[in-house]
Amino acid sequence: MTAADLSKPGVEPTALRRRSRSAVARSAGGDRSTTVVLGLVLLAAGVLVALLSYGVFGTARAGRPLLDPMIVDAVRAQPLLARVIAIAAGVVLVLLGLTWAARSVRPERRPDLALDGGPDTMIVISSAAVADAVAGQAGELPGVGRARARLVGPDTAPALRITLWLADDADVREVLRRLDDQVLATARSSLGLAALPVAVRLELERTHPHPRVA
Amino acid sequence: MRVLLRILAPLLGLALAAAGVLFVIEVVAAWVRPDATAGLLVPWPDWRATLENLTWADAPVPGIAIGVAAVGVALVLLGLAARRSDIHLDAPGGIAVTTAPRVLARLVGTRIRATDDVAGAAVTASARKVSVTAQAWGDATPELRGTVRSRVDELLDELPLRRRPRVGVSLQEREGPR
Repeated sequence: MTAADLSKPGVEPTALRRRSRSAVARSAGGDRSTTVVLGLVLLAAGVLVALLSYGVFGTARAGRPLLDPMIVDAVRAQPLLARVIAIAAGVVLVLLGLTWAARSVRPERRPDLALDGGPDTMIVISSAAVADAVAGQAGELPGVGRARARLVGPDTAPALRITLWLADDADVREVLRRLDDQVLATARSSLGLAALPVAVRLELERTHPHPRVA
Repeated sequence: MRVLLRILAPLLGLALAAAGVLFVIEVVAAWVRPDATAGLLVPWPDWRATLENLTWADAPVPGIAIGVAAVGVALVLLGLAARRSDIHLDAPGGIAVTTAPRVLARLVGTRIRATDDVAGAAVTASARKVSVTAQAWGDATPELRGTVRSRVDELLDELPLRRRPRVGVSLQEREGPR
């Protein structure tokens, strides 16, 4: 689905909800699964070596040196193959590590909104322009102290993430209703989008304690 | 936990990459300098001698293995615990609305502290449970407990929470003048 496709009616509500949910925050799924896999590898290796050390696989096996002469002989028998395998393993390790680190520190994408303006025409609205317009309108809703918005997700399927800082006495239900009816309806109609995935994060405005001494 | 994961993940990635670089450098160096008796960056001939003389049952090996397994358990727990603890709210138009447990706790705390006969309150909140420990100016009567609970229920009714958390209230008597 592309941003231009969003302007067509008939986007599945389930798909829209799923994309809205995934826009709630930057996903840490990749980091989490890689950390769990690395942890499981270390756990399995540690447990197996501990069992080997305590003689669970046989006392004779536990008494062999860590760098087994059998393995050394096998490597010496095929030196070229062993070197190529070792270098390939090192390169794989480098690529995996660099990819993981780069993905972890890469800033989140803020895609521009590309709309289909008809034959031979593509209208591009910058991410900052959409975000500023939505945040400006949302910040004026009753009960909202300030608001921040940004477009997130891939270029082909952008979503809107809005953070609202509410007053302590704000009517949350009413704020959300007005946000949908006024701000998002305006955004959808002005951008010509039938459906726009939206995730809203609610925070509370910081209260400033009154000074004890005037 | 998410902050720890965000810090640790790139460091682990860089550590893996650094290990790979050292490994490749040493293998290539040993290949092009077959007569060398020392490693280029890593003293691997010394390590090799140690590994040849050490058996699996010797002293530091089981301890190191248990340490590695413990690090593995810690990483697995970190990866599993770094999930978001958001509270989800219902909203019109398919909007996904979330807030942090501390926001709900602050709303509950503000509401409780505005109650007569309550001197202060400590609140912990999650998507499943809201626990309130209120300090009463006078006696911690069952009526005051009911009032506090009803104030919390009132607030939870006002919020469009997708899942209504259970409410636990305990009262403490505050010593001293009001």
